[in-house]
Amino acid sequence: MNTEVLLDVRHLKVAYHRIAVAVHDVTLQVRRGTIVALVGNNGAGKTTTLRAISGFIGLDDARVVSGSVVFEGRALQNPSPALMTALGVTIVPERDKVFPNLTLMENLSAVSSSRAKGRERHRLESLVFDVFPALAPLRSRLAGLLSGGERQMLALGSALVCNPSLLLVDELSLGLAPRVVDEILKRLVAIRQELGITVLLVEQNAPAALGIADYGYVLENGRVSLEGTAKDLRSQEQLRQHYLGIGNDQEHRAYRRIKAEVKGESA
Amino acid sequence: MSGLSAKQRGNGWKWLLAAIGVVIVFAIPFVARPFLLDLANQVLLACIGALALMLLTGLAGQISLGTAGLLAAGAYCVGILSHNFNAPFWIILPAAGCLGALLGFVFGLPSLRLRGLYLAISTLGLHFIVVYLGGEYETRQQLSTGVMVDPPAIGSWSLASNRGWYFTFLAFAALTLFIVFNLKRSRTGRAWRVLCEREVVASAIGIDVQRMKLLAFVISSTILAVAGALFAYQRNFVSIDAFSLYLTIQYVAMIIIGGMGTIEGALLGAAFVVLLPYAIEGAASHLPARLSSFVFALNYAAFGLVMIFFLLFEPTGLVGIIRRIVRRRRRPDVPLHPAGSNEH
Amino acid sequence: MTLQLAANVVVLACIYALVSVGYVLVYRVSRVLNLAHGELMMAGAYFLVGSSGLFNHDPVIGIGMAVLMGLLMGIVVYLALMRWMTGKSVLAAVLVTIALGILLRGLVVLVFTAQQFYPAAALGWNNAPVPLPGGVRVSMASATLVVITIAIYIALFLFLRFTRIGIQMRAAGQNPLLAAQRGIRLHAIYAFAWGLSTFTASIAGILLALDSGVDGQMATIGLKAFPAALVGGLDSFIGACIGALIVATAEIAAIQYVNPLLSDVVPFVVLLIVLAVRPWGLFGSREQLDRV
Repeated sequence: MNTEVLLDVRHLKVAYHRIAVAVHDVTLQVRRGTIVALVGNNGAGKTTTLRAISGFIGLDDARVVSGSVVFEGRALQNPSPALMTALGVTIVPERDKVFPNLTLMENLSAVSSSRAKGRERHRLESLVFDVFPALAPLRSRLAGLLSGGERQMLALGSALVCNPSLLLVDELSLGLAPRVVDEILKRLVAIRQELGITVLLVEQNAPAALGIADYGYVLENGRVSLEGTAKDLRSQEQLRQHYLGIGNDQEHRAYRRIKAEVKGESA
Repeated sequence: MSGLSAKQRGNGWKWLLAAIGVVIVFAIPFVARPFLLDLANQVLLACIGALALMLLTGLAGQISLGTAGLLAAGAYCVGILSHNFNAPFWIILPAAGCLGALLGFVFGLPSLRLRGLYLAISTLGLHFIVVYLGGEYETRQQLSTGVMVDPPAIGSWSLASNRGWYFTFLAFAALTLFIVFNLKRSRTGRAWRVLCEREVVASAIGIDVQRMKLLAFVISSTILAVAGALFAYQRNFVSIDAFSLYLTIQYVAMIIIGGMGTIEGALLGAAFVVLLPYAIEGAASHLPARLSSFVFALNYAAFGLVMIFFLLFEPTGLVGIIRRIVRRRRRPDVPLHPAGSNEH
Repeated sequence: MTLQLAANVVVLACIYALVSVGYVLVYRVSRVLNLAHGELMMAGAYFLVGSSGLFNHDPVIGIGMAVLMGLLMGIVVYLALMRWMTGKSVLAAVLVTIALGILLRGLVVLVFTAQQFYPAAALGWNNAPVPLPGGVRVSMASATLVVITIAIYIALFLFLRFTRIGIQMRAAGQNPLLAAQRGIRLHAIYAFAWGLSTFTASIAGILLALDSGVDGQMATIGLKAFPAALVGGLDSFIGACIGALIVATAEIAAIQYVNPLLSDVVPFVVLLIVLAVRPWGLFGSREQLDRV
């Protein structure tokens, strides 16, 4: 399936406070209607990549230093998050993903109407409860009092109300029980199926992400070290040893290497 | 001179400039017109206060809006002790210092619990209380316009001439400069700098955060109270009207306009803020009579504008501007980084 | 006697409560403490002076114009000035507001001169005392102020609870980044918050002007209202009401039973007590202490 490229990122370089480079050189493409997974360890630069695509605000003190981000053929230069949402790129952030002192319903109402007004908007809001029926009885509950899974569902729901064409999801699985993660990921696939939304999914939990993805990128120290179809990545031995924790050889090899280095230095 | 390197020649220039500066500083009281001499006196006095505030806010990172209150305390110490008890200056000045230290302790107490904005607000509250007390004193003593103060005297000699005050202020300013300069480079100064940046780190590496904060307040307030006392002696007059919130903001502006956290900034800023109203007055003569008749309003408006300008566009202050110019002169090919905002 | 005192407390509390709306709005939505609020209130009063000169003997249009100018003023202040301070330290933003206040103090005198004005007379509006049960007397302007304050609080509550913009303002105050990520245009929300803030401040200033005239000292009342907002917890409207009641009661009691000169200092004594005991105010949240 080779649809058009919706998001084209080339040689992205992102720095915080003008000096701390978090992303050195990331190139990736996301095709329309697909689910693309971006996996890698902590600190690999996954969240920064997503944030760079969805837009920084002044308080972040971060900038895209070089490289390009092109969405639907339109080149973007350090856009604001509000602009990106208006263009159709919505992010479900890793932390602080809901407004804790607003009720669940207010969280949905707070979303801007820039991409869906009136009846279309209403349709989207009720859609959220169709996709996540567990949220229905919680409409007047303060979002800060929701459980982790409920909060994640609400975050996804409020992102849906933005009427996005590209959904960026950052670390969906963090802090959630595996069963809950599975459930939500299934919903994500359903969302893609029924609404045709494209998804870029950032995950530390590589097996879960690659389980639902079509294509994948592996990030290491701010660079793409591996890419391929999800099927290929799942089966690649290297990947499995590095990130999935299967196979002890790599760990032994790594430990032996460290021992040798230490011995060598002191000799 | 061809045998000297560029750097040595540069240093040579620096020494020459410094020598010229010293000559000027000592020549002023003999050469300048009385009006200019008075201006110089005002600048020197402001320098003392600005350095004290810079110590507290620029070095130790403690926000305080209590400057006017502390100056008032020193001035009222002079007013009350000389008016009600006829005490001589060599008792009153140290007393003012002690009062300043005590008040500094009080003003500093909120800093143990509060930071940033809330600390500033608490010092603001203290300012109003001091102002109220001063007003109360004046009302009870039935001094509707203020307290008259005799100039400091020993026997038949009294300090009343502008020239005499110039050297007095110069001495105190030099003393303050000496104190602040050395504190900055001392262990205390380094502890303050860590405190300023990251309080959590400071306490983690064993700095007694509470003691350091209070120390900064006490030292700064002592200097301010003494400056207030000098002010009272020089003017021969103390009135609560002189110690408004506007005065505090002027001092805050001095260290901001000059360049937060730097000694040169405090001095430059002091000179700038003191001289600004006179520049405005000079410019006002070119304005229509309706505007020029309200000089104080012009001063307010101009001051507000200048302060906004520096906060918005030149957060590193005059010192930052000068450094930029010097850098540009030395290496015109190297692109300059945009000035970072001064985090606090 | 005590009934009259109670009435005075209510009137003063309403003044402080109405002014506090502005402090809380701007702080809660854009996290900036606007210390020029008193001067902005004064500017609103001066707008009335200007419009009462233009629309002689037509109170409705005169007052209406002034209120409208007050609303616009806030939007302009944000877009022209405060907008450039987002992303810089909170302290720097507050200093900018202080500088703005000083600028305004100078400007009003330059434009209007330093004399006292009585717009009520210019508009032909009779500020007769309104006799109330129990022999209590309050001026018409004061009575209007009480009614308007209550109305504004109710309107504000409904607005923030039930309209989309209101909810978006609350959201922006809680998490500006997430708000932006949900498509909310922060600059527009902040500008609106500032506009509403100066709108309410202008109404307060106008009513005070109709009651007792305008001069350059009016801004002090704005500053005295600040402790009321702080006592309640800077980001709570209910807190501002209660804070206003506390400060007003303390102030009137002090004037009546201790010393009339205390009137300017009592609010700040209350402020210090609250800061010493419970800095985040009665209804505020502890976290906001660390925000700054």
